[in-house]
Formats: sequence, C-alpha cells, structure tokens
Amino acid sequence: MIATNVRRLGLYLILSFAVVSGSIVWWQVVQAQALATRGDNPEVIAARRSLLRGTIFDASGQVLARSQVVEGLSTRTYADPAFTHVIGYSSFRFGSTGVERAFEDLLVGQSDPNPIRQLVNDVLDRQPQPRDLTLTIDRRLQDFAAAQLGSNRGAVVAIDPTSGAVLALVSTPTFDANPISGDPDVAQEPMDALREDSAQPLLSRARQGQYVPGSILKVFTAAAALDAGAITPETTFPDQPRQETEGFVVDGFTIREHDLGGLQPDLWALSEGLQVSSNIYFAHVGLDLGADAFLAAARRLGMCASLEIGPPDRALSVTPSYVTQPVEGDCGPFSGDVELASASFGQGSTLVTPVQMALLAAAIAGDGVMPHPYLVSDVRAHSETDAPADEVLQRFSSRGGTRVISTEAARQVRSAMVDAVNGELGRPYAGQGDVTLYGISNARSAGKTGTAQLGGEQAPHSWFIGFAPAGEEASAAIAVAVLVESGGSGSTNAAPIAGQVMAEYLRLAAGE
Amino acid sequence: MRIAWRGVELRLLLPTLLLVPLGFIVTHVALSGAFEPGPLELALGYVALFVGAHLVLVAFGHRGDQLLLPAVGAMGAVGLVMLNRLPQDLAGTSAFDVELGMAATQLLWFGVGIVAMLAIAIGLRDHGILRHYKYSWAAIGILLLAATLLFGYEVNGARLWIDLGPVSVQPGEFLKIVLVVFLAGYLAETRTLLTSARLRIGFLSIPPLPYFLPMLVLFGAVMLIAVRLNDLGTALLFFGIFLTMLFVATGRRSYVLIGLLLFVAGSFVAYQLFAHVQARVDVWLDPFADPLGAGFQPVRAIYAFGRGGIFGEGLGQGLVTLGGSLTIPFVHTDFIFTAVAEELGLLGAFAVLGFAAVLVFRGLRIAALARDDFGALLVVGLTASLGLQTLIIVGGNTKLIPLTGITLPFVSYGGSSVLASFVMVGLLLAVSHRSAIGTDAEPQP
Repeated sequence: MIATNVRRLGLYLILSFAVVSGSIVWWQVVQAQALATRGDNPEVIAARRSLLRGTIFDASGQVLARSQVVEGLSTRTYADPAFTHVIGYSSFRFGSTGVERAFEDLLVGQSDPNPIRQLVNDVLDRQPQPRDLTLTIDRRLQDFAAAQLGSNRGAVVAIDPTSGAVLALVSTPTFDANPISGDPDVAQEPMDALREDSAQPLLSRARQGQYVPGSILKVFTAAAALDAGAITPETTFPDQPRQETEGFVVDGFTIREHDLGGLQPDLWALSEGLQVSSNIYFAHVGLDLGADAFLAAARRLGMCASLEIGPPDRALSVTPSYVTQPVEGDCGPFSGDVELASASFGQGSTLVTPVQMALLAAAIAGDGVMPHPYLVSDVRAHSETDAPADEVLQRFSSRGGTRVISTEAARQVRSAMVDAVNGELGRPYAGQGDVTLYGISNARSAGKTGTAQLGGEQAPHSWFIGFAPAGEEASAAIAVAVLVESGGSGSTNAAPIAGQVMAEYLRLAAGE
Repeated sequence: MRIAWRGVELRLLLPTLLLVPLGFIVTHVALSGAFEPGPLELALGYVALFVGAHLVLVAFGHRGDQLLLPAVGAMGAVGLVMLNRLPQDLAGTSAFDVELGMAATQLLWFGVGIVAMLAIAIGLRDHGILRHYKYSWAAIGILLLAATLLFGYEVNGARLWIDLGPVSVQPGEFLKIVLVVFLAGYLAETRTLLTSARLRIGFLSIPPLPYFLPMLVLFGAVMLIAVRLNDLGTALLFFGIFLTMLFVATGRRSYVLIGLLLFVAGSFVAYQLFAHVQARVDVWLDPFADPLGAGFQPVRAIYAFGRGGIFGEGLGQGLVTLGGSLTIPFVHTDFIFTAVAEELGLLGAFAVLGFAAVLVFRGLRIAALARDDFGALLVVGLTASLGLQTLIIVGGNTKLIPLTGITLPFVSYGGSSVLASFVMVGLLLAVSHRSAIGTDAEPQP
C-alpha cells in the first residue's frame, strides 16, 4: 500500500524535476542570445564601464564632456551644466540620456560611421574605437542664454532657420551631471534629490515641457489663414472694433479682449491686429479659416505628433505640441467654435513645446520652409587632447527643410512680425525684442510676445518668438523661442531675453 | 560485527571525489593564469572525508544503500569547488585564533556532518525507537521555534556554536527533521483510520477531522511561526513535506487537492494582506520592470543563466563583477545554483539536478522497501524534504516560482543546512540497512 503510493509519488517528482529542468533550458538555451545584448545585462554594463567614451565638443572646439579610464573604470567629466539638457548624462546606474544616449554606439565606438569600415571591424573583431562629436551649439551663446534666464524656470531655443542647426537649447533649472554619471554606489542620493526637487530640474523644458502658448500662436493662425487664402493682410472685420469693448459672442460664450491699456480700438488689419495682439481679430481669423484647415496647417508645421532633433536615426525626441485636446497622441477634433476661436489666439486646449515654437519662427523666417533641426555637426576620430582631431569621419549638415506655408504667406507674416517689434502700436508689447537695443545697428528683429493665461491665481507664462535679421535685404540668421514659466507678460520678461540672445548671436557671428 | 564490502559505493565515489582536486586546479589556473596546481589541502581533505566515511561503513558492516554517499559526495564536490572559486571573505570563521575562509569552513561542517551521519547510520540500529517519543519531538520542535520567535537573533538556538564559527543557525533546518519524525510516527499509527473513515460530500472525501486534529494543530503552529518569521521558503517546504507524507500515508489525492486549494487560497489572502508578499510576487511576475531596484536579484540571476549557456563559461572565468562585487546576489547560499549554471553551463546545472534526483529516487526506493510503515513514512518525509528543497530553490533561481531563501542541500554554504542534510542521509542509511539485513537474513530471536 505505502509502496504503491511511493511509486506514484515518484512519478510526480519526475514530472517536477522535468519542469525545473525545462526552466533552466529556457534561460540557458532559448533565451541566452536575447539576454546577452540587453542594456541592463551586468556584463554589458561592466564592459561599458571600462570603455573609453568619445569627447563632446561645442561648435567652437571647447570640451564639454570627456572621459578618462582610471584603473579600468571609465569616468566622465561634464564641463558645463548649461549643456546637461542637451548632452544628457551617461550613468552606470541610470543609463544615458540626451546626446549621450542618441550617439551611444558611436561615442564608445561600437559602430563606425563608415559602413565598409564597420564591416571590416566586425570581420576582424577589432577593438572599438571611441569617436568624438561636435555640437552645432556654441558654448558662448548657450551660456549667455542660460545666464539670461538666470534663476527663472524656462527655456531658450535658437535655431538657424536656413540650415536647421540648433544654436542654443537651454532649459532651466539645470543640474550637474557629474555626480550622477560618477561612482554608481553614490549616484543614487543626488539622483533622488533631483527627482524630489519641486523645480523639476530633470525635465528638459525646451524639448519636453508643454506650455499654453498664448499670443505667440497668433503667428501660426495668421500664417495658416494667409496660406489658405482665408484672409489677406488687408482683411478687416467690421464688428471687431465694437467687440473689442463689448466682447465677441461665439456660441453663447463671450470672448473678451485682453487689457488694451489706454489704446482706443479701431478697425484693424493683420499688422495692427498682430501689433496690439488683438484676441478678437484672431478669433475672427481662426473662425474664417475653419477647424479642418486649422488642424491641417498645425500638422504640416509638425504639431500633433512628436518631433525629432536630428540627425535622423540618432535623434533627440521632442514631446508633441497640441492645438486641441489630444486623442491617442494626435490632436483631437475641435469641440466647437469656442475652442477654435480660443485656439486662434493661443488659449483653449493648446499646449506647445519651446522647440516647436522656435521652428514656427524659423519657418516664417525661412520664407515658409521649416528646417529639420539637428545639433551634432560632425563625428571625428578621438582626440587625446583638448582640441578636436582634424580627421572628420562623418559630417552632418542641413537636410533642407519642409515647405509648410507659401513663400508669400510667410513674407506677409514676417512683415507683420517686424511691425510687432518696430511699429508704433507694437513697440509697447514686443519692442524689447529689438536687437538694436542691445548694440546691433545693422539689423532689425521680427517677433511676437505671448502672455499665456493659465487661469486661477497662477501668473501667466511669458513667451517670445522671433528672428533676426528680419529685413528684406538679409536672410534671418537666428530664430528663437523664449519661455519663462509664470514670468508674467511676454513684453517684460521673455522679449528682452530673446532680443539679447539674438543680438549676442549676431555679434558672435560677426566676430568670426 | 562483520566487514561488508561496499564495492558499488567505492567505484562511484572515487570518480566523483576526483572532481574536487580537478576543479580546484582548473579554478586556480583560470584565476591566477599560472599552470601550477595551487593549494589542494581542502580538496584532499574532502576526498579523505568521504573515503573515510566509506571505510567506516565497511568496517561496521553497514548494509545501507550504496548510492546515497556518492550522490551526496558529488553534490558536495560541486558545491565545494564553487565555494572555493568564490571570494573567500563572503563567509567564514574566526575562532581560537584560527581564520578559516568560506570553503574551509564548509569543509569543517562537512566533517561534522559526516560524523553525525555515521553516528546515526551505525548507532541507530532500530529507528523504531524514534516513534515512541513522537510527542516529545513535537514539543521540542515547538520549543525550538518558539525560542526563535521570542528571543530572535540573540539566543538563536545554536548560537552555542559560536566557538566553532559565527554561524547564524537556522532552527528551521533541524525543525524539519523533528517535524518529519513526528508526522511519520503519527501517520503510521492513524493512517488506517485516516484512509478508511468515509465522510463524503459530493465527490469530495472530507477528512475525518478528529484524527487530523493533533497533526493540524502542530502543523498550523509551525506554519504560523514560519510565516511570522517571514521565512516563506521554509513555510513552503514544510507544507510540501506535509502534503507528500499525507499522500503517501493515505493514498488520497483528495487530501492533497484540499491542501493545495487551501494553499492557493492562503497565498491569495497573503498577497492581498502583506505588502512584502505582494512585492515578491510582482517582482516574480515581471522582474525587468525595475531591473536595478526591486527586480535586482532575479534579473541578475537570469543574466547569469544566459551567460552560462550550454557549456558554461568555465570555472573561474565567469561571474561578472560590477564595482568590485559579484553581480549574482547571495551567490554562496540562495543563488549558488545560478553560479554553477553560469560557470559549468546547462551541463553542470543538469549534473547537480541529476545528483539530487539520484538521492531522491534512492530515497523513494528505500521507502518502498522499508519493512515498517514508520520507517517508510520517515524516509518519504526526509526524501521529500531534500527533493522539494532542491526543486524550490532551483525553481526560485530560474524564476519558475517566486524566490524564497532556502539552501540547496550539500551545495549551498551553511553549517546548519549541511549538518541537517547529513543527519537526514544518516537516517536514510539506517532505515535501508535495516531493510537489507531483514531481507537477507531474518534477525535471530
């Protein structure tokens, strides 16, 4: 009796041993290959720890990040916290972010920019050779922009409208990447402190921050309506002067003008409408344009989906910007005319990133062609010194751009934006964005302020987008977007920062 | 007392014992890069221990099973080679001004264990006397655990052995033997009642509760304390032993089924109630969700299995270190099987599992041949303990089941575990000896 039961028990035990054996086979045979290449595999981490990483230089050849291998441990030093939100960090404990992540394989030399050499290396099983990178950003401009933001939370994005080269990409507050990338055993504490910091220093505001745009989006509304032929620069709306004081009733909801100060309402066309930043005027423009055309134009300009700062395949992603309530990552439909009218002057459900707004400015500056942004200009052989090597292995240059609005429409918007900075009506609002105030005599700026109302007691976000030079004679060299979180009106806070950053860039460009 | 040659045992023992010096040499060459034999005292000491044990059994005319010692010797060989390969400061002893590394300490415990095994195998000529004191055993068991529960670390039972080494003795290791002895005694007496009593509701046979009561009370107390001590592995092991013995005693699948249902229900309740249980199950289901945090242990183990592949990385050539420490956590205790699988590959892992299987199936054979119910149930319980312990910890290493911290018998580092396992093998030898002399020649009146 017991002997019989023991035999039955034996069968169950054989089964159990077989199942356990199967689980070993699963990891050691079936999954072995897949496990070997995973990034959190300690073997991969250990190999990476001893690998020399390439140096990252700024556009002028200054060292921003470099590594040294000391006693088998590769240690990385970051020179400038103003670049943390561009370069990111390469941490043994937390992985890598930013350019460090996007260019990981090149920096450690696991891949070669030249496919034939890559093949030879693979065949010969050669040791990886680290590569150096050069950014399109000049440290002087980046530091200058960061200093302008100071202790404010915000972002400055500057792009060359012709090439798409990123000239500055600043997010504040920033943080020191050195303790996080250093000794993995002590990296946790500084990281925890950053994670708990209410100022959210880990957030790359320029790329990942989503903000209500306020009046800067009127540039988009104007461009879209002109492009679609819904308005001309001369278009006026007869009811507008009256509605400036009485309000504009849409679907039973009254849209009101912002405080015009002592200004008397008048029958305004595009230039005046943009100069005084009339909500009523742009509500009319948006309603005339219509919801479908509004959304189509937004998508053409890169909104409603995530963007990339190239080069392609090694891009830094940019959080999507939305003009309506998002649905599954895309802009949803407008709920009605009230939302459309509100979106037309940058309220409603609009949420945008500073990078997207800089691209909007660049598209206007570039006669309707929106550039593809990129921020690494070349890959070089590794240099042992503080100067970049001469041997350039791969060069990234402009990939042109995408035509998003007609040349004519872009020029009409540009003219209105020049007026917004320089015109009699516009000066009180956007005048601080004028580069001539900051020592530049031979160029003018175009621009638009934004004061994004957040509702409640919160101070509005302060915005400015613009470009310079903005005259007919020279093409624009720099397009910017400046955001100061809860910085009050665009004219007092963001506009002077933008004006100074543009002026500084023109000065640097002239000096070289 | 007549000499009884044990040829099978010797022929199997010698090649397995050879594994140790060979393994030591390979490890030394791989780690130092020099082609010289390296320190072999420990390896030779190990060989001497088992050959000595064999000779003692021969000298005393022991007729017990001849495959047990080679299986134990092989498991211990793999364990000692691996422990010798690991950094020696992971564990160890410093007493009487003697500093012993981890492998040396383990060898010391093997010595103690083998002496205990021989004493039981030879001294316990009639295992039947154990059953007469079954309630005393139960009381000892409860006292043992209650002491642990009340006094915690400070008076952790065997802290008396501090002179032999700073070993935190796990009372659970010895408690399971006590529990098996009690259950074997109780079930041997009541199994007829438990089997014949019929109380049916629908298709389920309801156990006749009164006969179950003493057993359930003890068992419940033990489980409660084990859970209270947060020793889930031991609790699971006890439960498995209990169900296995109950099944063999009664042959009733329904009892096992009810037990399993209770276990599932209990697990569900525990999952809902206790955060640490929840965390452990979540980590088990998806360790890669947080590979550097909560999922750290299983993830590191899984990668080690992957690195090993079929043939392994070779002794002394695997085991990645990060920042100077080994990536496999608890590599000398809970995860030693993972280390074996990495350096000796699937083949090495299967070998260890195979040795354990030999031990288990010889145990079952001894049970089937036992001349009395108590002896059979005792052996079944001990065998189940060794086998389930192996399955639970190996399954935990491979993420087949949630990880619980118990040792792999004869392979993991740990004095209590080694000693308790040898005591169990000693009991198996004693019972099989009695069967052997019983079948060959009836004892003279």
